[in-house]
Amino acid sequence: MTSLLTWMLILPVLGALGCLIAPSKQAARAIALATTIATLVVNIALAVGYAHQGWSGVLDNQPLSWISSINAYYHVGVDGLSLPLTLLTTGLSVLVVIAGWKVDKAAKAYHALYLLLLAGMIGVFIAMDLFLFYVFFEVSLLPMYFLIGIWGGPRKEYAAIKFFLYTLAGSICLLIVMLGIYFYSPAATHGAGNTWDMVTLQSKAVRDLFGRGGKFATFGMWAFWLTLIAFMIKLPGVPFHTWLPDAHVEAPTPISMVLAGVLLKMGGYAIMRITYPFFPDWGQYFWVCVAGLGVAAILYGALCAMAQSDWKKLVAYSSVSHMGYVTLGIAVLTREGFDGAYFQMIAHGITSAMMFFLVGVVYDRAHHREINRLGGLWLKYPGYGGWSLVGFFAGMGLPLLCGFIGEILVLLGTFRAAGNAVLMHGAATHTLLQVQHWSLAFGILAAFAVVLTAGYILWMFQRVYMGPQKPEYAHYEAVSAREYLIMATLGIAAVVFGVAPILVFAVTTPTFNHLAHILGMA
Amino acid sequence: MDPSHLILTLLLTATLAPLVSCLVVLFIGKRVMGTASGWFATVVMAVAFGCALWALLAWMGWPAAQRHTIVLAVPWIPLPGSETPWLYLGGMVDSLTVAMMAMVTGVSMLVHLYSIGYMEGDARFERFFAYLSLFTFSMLGIVMSHSLIMLFVFWELVGLTSYLLIGFWFEKRAPQLACRKAFVMNRIGDMGFLIGFGILFWKLGGNVFLPAVAGNGRVSMFEALRQAIEAQGYSINHPPLWLTAAGIGLFFGAVGKSAQFPLHTWLPDAMEGPTPVSSIVHSATMVAAGVYLTARIYPILTPGAHLFVATIGLITLTIAAAMALVMTDIKRVLAYSTLSQLGYMVLGLGAGAWTFALFHLITHAFFKCCLFQCSGSVINASHHEQDMRQYGGLGKKMPITAGAYLVSTLAISGASLPFMGIGLTGGFYSKDGIIAGCYNYGSALAVAGHTLGPIFYWTPLIIAFVTVFYMARSFALTFMGQPRNKHLYEHVHEAPWTMTVPQVALALSAVLAMPMVLPFLHLINGSMPTVSWVQPGQADHMKVAYEHVEKGLLFGVAWIIVLLGGIAMYRPGMKYGHRVATLPGVNVLYTWTHNKFYFDALYDIFIVGCGKALAFIVGTFDKYIVDGLVNLAGLIGKGTGFFIGSFDKLVVDGAVNAAADLTQAGGRTLRLTQPGRVRVYVLLTFATGVVVTLIVVAAAMLR
Repeated sequence: MTSLLTWMLILPVLGALGCLIAPSKQAARAIALATTIATLVVNIALAVGYAHQGWSGVLDNQPLSWISSINAYYHVGVDGLSLPLTLLTTGLSVLVVIAGWKVDKAAKAYHALYLLLLAGMIGVFIAMDLFLFYVFFEVSLLPMYFLIGIWGGPRKEYAAIKFFLYTLAGSICLLIVMLGIYFYSPAATHGAGNTWDMVTLQSKAVRDLFGRGGKFATFGMWAFWLTLIAFMIKLPGVPFHTWLPDAHVEAPTPISMVLAGVLLKMGGYAIMRITYPFFPDWGQYFWVCVAGLGVAAILYGALCAMAQSDWKKLVAYSSVSHMGYVTLGIAVLTREGFDGAYFQMIAHGITSAMMFFLVGVVYDRAHHREINRLGGLWLKYPGYGGWSLVGFFAGMGLPLLCGFIGEILVLLGTFRAAGNAVLMHGAATHTLLQVQHWSLAFGILAAFAVVLTAGYILWMFQRVYMGPQKPEYAHYEAVSAREYLIMATLGIAAVVFGVAPILVFAVTTPTFNHLAHILGMA
Repeated sequence: MDPSHLILTLLLTATLAPLVSCLVVLFIGKRVMGTASGWFATVVMAVAFGCALWALLAWMGWPAAQRHTIVLAVPWIPLPGSETPWLYLGGMVDSLTVAMMAMVTGVSMLVHLYSIGYMEGDARFERFFAYLSLFTFSMLGIVMSHSLIMLFVFWELVGLTSYLLIGFWFEKRAPQLACRKAFVMNRIGDMGFLIGFGILFWKLGGNVFLPAVAGNGRVSMFEALRQAIEAQGYSINHPPLWLTAAGIGLFFGAVGKSAQFPLHTWLPDAMEGPTPVSSIVHSATMVAAGVYLTARIYPILTPGAHLFVATIGLITLTIAAAMALVMTDIKRVLAYSTLSQLGYMVLGLGAGAWTFALFHLITHAFFKCCLFQCSGSVINASHHEQDMRQYGGLGKKMPITAGAYLVSTLAISGASLPFMGIGLTGGFYSKDGIIAGCYNYGSALAVAGHTLGPIFYWTPLIIAFVTVFYMARSFALTFMGQPRNKHLYEHVHEAPWTMTVPQVALALSAVLAMPMVLPFLHLINGSMPTVSWVQPGQADHMKVAYEHVEKGLLFGVAWIIVLLGGIAMYRPGMKYGHRVATLPGVNVLYTWTHNKFYFDALYDIFIVGCGKALAFIVGTFDKYIVDGLVNLAGLIGKGTGFFIGSFDKLVVDGAVNAAADLTQAGGRTLRLTQPGRVRVYVLLTFATGVVVTLIVVAAAMLR
C-alpha cells in the first residue's frame, strides 16, 4: 500500500519523460491525460487504503535514509490533512490536461513541464520529512516559472520572474527556520540527534522547547513569523499577494486553474502542517495579528476585485479574498474555524479553477478580458451561462454550493473565539482589548464581506453575461463538448461538496481531533 | 393512530416536488417538452398542493391533545468542538408550518397556471418555469426549516432564485439593475442575520443548532432555543445586551427579505420582473419569508428587540402607504401597498399580535397575488402600458379581471359589514386583530411611561383608511370612468382562461374562506409561542380583538365613506388628484413622496457611490503602493546586482569572477524566454527536475 505513495511521484515523472520523447503533439497530450488519470487512480487506491485504517493516523512508508549526513529521510505519507488535498490535486490535474488540449506552442514541452509540476505538488502534500518538503516546495516552483514565462500573455516575463523571486524570498524564510529547527532539535529528541521528521517535530517536547518560556522561545517566535510569511506569500495573504494578479493574468488558462486550484493550497496546508503545530504557543499569542491579516485579506481582496476592469484580475483578487478565510479560520483557534479553513481550501480549489476556466472560454474567443467590452454572453451561450451561474455563485458562497460551508464555519468559529479560553490566557491582547471585542469585531467585518462579495460578483455578472449580445459575437465558435465536460465536472463537484461536506470531514475529523489537541483549539 | 409519519411524508413530498420539476424542466424542458413544460410544472405544483392540503387535513384531524411537533434531523456538517455533534438539515412541522405549506403551494400552483398564459411566446418560456419551481422549493424549504442554519440555507436560495426571476428579461437594463439591487439589499440584511447568529453561537455554542426536541409537546424550534438561553441563566424579560443585539441582528435579515425600512427600496424595483414573478414575490414567497422568520424567532426577542421590530414596522407601513397614494404606475401602487401591509405584519409581531400577524400574512398572500395577477392581465391586454393615467373604463372590457380586482380591494381594505362587526373578508379579521394587538401594546407602553406609546395604535388605524383610499384610487383609475387613451382601449381584451381562472380562484378564496376564519385562527394559534413578555392583554388577545370589532362600528361605516370618496375623486381621472397635489403645503409633501423620500438617491450616493470610491482607492493603493514597493524591491535588487557586478568586473576583476558570472546568469534569466531557445531551457529544467526526483527516489529505494 505504501508503495502507492511513491508511485504517485514516479508516474508523473515517467509521464513527463514520455511526453518529451512522444512522436507527436497529439501523442504527448494522450500521454499526459493517461498519466494524470493513472495518478488519480493510484490516489483513489491510496484513499481506500486510508479508509481501511479508519481515516485515522498516518499512512506512510518506512522512513528510508536519504542523505544520512544531515539525517534527511525519504519519508512520505498521507493523513486526514493531506489526503483530501492530494485528491484535489490529482482530480484537478486531469481536468487541467483536458483544458490545455488546445495548447499548440511546444505542446510536448508544455505537458512535460506540467507533469513535473504535478509531481512537485503531490510531493509537497505527502512529504513527511521537512527537508523533503522543502525540496518539493522548490521543485514545484521551476516548472511553474516556465509555464507562465513561455506560454503566458504579453507581460509573461515580468509575471514569471515576479512569481519566482517572490516565492523564492518565502523559501529563504523557510530555510532559515529549517536550519534553526535542525540544530536545536537534539535538545528534545532524547539523544536521537538532529531531525527533520515532521511527526517528531510536533511532539510536546519540541513544542515546549520553542514555546513561550521554553529554552529557545525567541527563536520559536521568529520561526513562527518567518514560516508564516513564507507560506502567506504562497497563500497569498495581504500584503504579500501582488505576484498573484500578475501571474494569473499572464498565465494561460489551464495554468491559472492549477495555480489557483492547487498551488495556493500549498501555503494553507503548510500553515496547518508546520507553522501552527510546531509553534502553537505563538499562534495563541499572536492570534489577533494573524486573524487581523485574514480579515484584512477578505475585505481588501474583495474591494480590489470590485475595482478591476480586467475580468481575470477580478477573479484573481477574489482568490485573495477567499484565501483570507483560511488565514482567519486558522488564527482564531476554534474547531469550527479550523474545519472551515480547511474546507474553504478544497472549495476554493474547485470554484477558482472553475471561474478561471469560465474566463478562459471567453478569452479564447474574444482575445480580450475587458469586462466593459463584454456583455450578453448569456444570450449567446445559454448553457455556458448556466454553468457560469453555478461557478460564480459557488464562489460567492451560496448555500448548497461548496463555497458556503467554509465561509459559514469560519465565521462561526470567529464569533466562537470570543469565548476561547486558550486565547484569553495565551494571547498578547489582554492589555489592549478583550479577546471578545477582537473576535466580535473580526466576525462583524467578515460578515460584512458577504455584501462586498455579492457586490463584485453580481456587478461583474451583470456586465459580462446580461444585456444584449455584441455584434462581434456572430463569428464566435460554439462552446465545445470538451469545454462543457470541464465546466460540468467542476460545477457538479461544487454542488456535491456543498450538499455533502461530510465527504471531506469524514476524512479529516480524526486527524483534526489530534491537531486540535496540539493547537489547543476550543 | 399517530399520523405524524404521514404528515411528514406528505410535506416532504410537497417540498421536493418543485425541485424535481425544476431539474426536469431545466435539463429536458427545451428539447423534449417545449411549451408542455409549463403544464408539467403546474401539474407538479398541483400535486404538491394536494399533498400539503392532505397534510393540513390530517393535522387538523389529529386530536389536539395528542398533537406534537414533528421533527426530522439529518446530520449535515460535523461540529466536533461544540455542544452538538452535528449541524442538521431536516424539517419541523407544527401548526404554522402546515398552514404555510398549504398557502405557499396553493398560491404557487395558481401562479404557475397564470404564467402559462402570461409567458406565452417568450423565448425562455421553459426556463421561467424551472426558476419559478425552484423559487417555490426554496420558500417551502424555509417554511419546513427546523433550525436557524437550515433556514439560512433556503433563505439564500430564495435570494438567488429571486435574482434570476427579477432579472429574467436580462437583455434590458432595468431588470439587470433591479435583480442586482434586490440581491445586494438582501445580502445587507443577511449580514445582520449572520452577526446575530454569530452572537448566539458565541454565547450558546452548539445549542443554537439543536433542532426542536422531537415529541416535546408543543414546543417549536425557537422555544427550544429560548429554553437553552434560560437554562444558562439568562432571562428574556431582563436580558443582557447581547441577547437584544442578537435578536435585532436576526430580525435584520427579515428587514432585507420582507423589504422593511430602511432596506425597502428593492421591492418596488423588483416589479421589473415578469408580472407572475411580482405576484408570487409579493405574496407567498420571499417577502413572506421575512415575516415568517420574525415569527419564528419571536420567543427569543427581548422587550428591546420587540420595540425595534414594532418601530420598523410602523415606519414602513406609514411611508409605504404615503408613496402608494401618489404613484401612477399600477404595479408600483401595488408594490407599495405590499410594503405597507408587510409593515402591518411586522408591527403586529413586534406588538405581540403573533397569531393575527401570521393570519394577515396568509390572507394577504391570496389577495395580493390576485391583485398582481389582475394588474398583469391589464398590462398584457394594453400592450405593456403600466401608467394608470392611460387607462380608464377598462372594467367594461375586462369584467372578470375587474371583479376579481374589486373583491381583492375589499379584502385588503379589511371590509366589514357596517353596524354588525362582521367581516366580509379574511383581511378584515387579520388586520383588525393586528390593530387590536397594537392597542394593547401601545397601552402597555403608555402605562410603562412611554408617552409615545399610543402612536403604535393610532398610526396603523389611520393608515388602514389610507389603504382603502389608495386602493379605491387604483380601482377607479383603471376600471371606471371613461377611457382616457382611446387607442389603447380599443385593443384591450379579457385575458385567456389560464389567467382569469387563477384570478377568480384567488378572489374567491378571499371571500369563501370566511367560514374558515375561526378554525384557521385557532390552528395558527396552536403554534403561538407559549411565553412572551407582552403579558398584559396577551392571553386574552383574541377576546380583545373581537371586542375591538364590536366597538369598531364607526370603522365599519367609515371605510365605506373612504372607499366611495376615493372612487368619486378618481373616477374622472387625475384632475382632482392634481388639484390636491398642487395645494400649497401639500405640494411639498407631494414632491417628497413622489420621489420616494429620496431613499434611492441617498443610497446611490452614500452606499453605492462610497463603495465604488472605496474600491477604487483600495485598488489604486494596491496597484501603486503595495505592488510599487514590490517592484521597488526588485529594482533595488537589480541595481545592487548591477552595481556589485560592475564593481567586481572593473575593480576586483578576475579575483572574484564567479560573482560576476552569477550576475550575468541573472541577466540571462531575463532572456530565457526568447523563442527559439525555449526547448533548450525546458530540457535543462526538466533534466534538473528529473535528476532531483530520481535521486530522491533512487536513494530511497537503494537503501
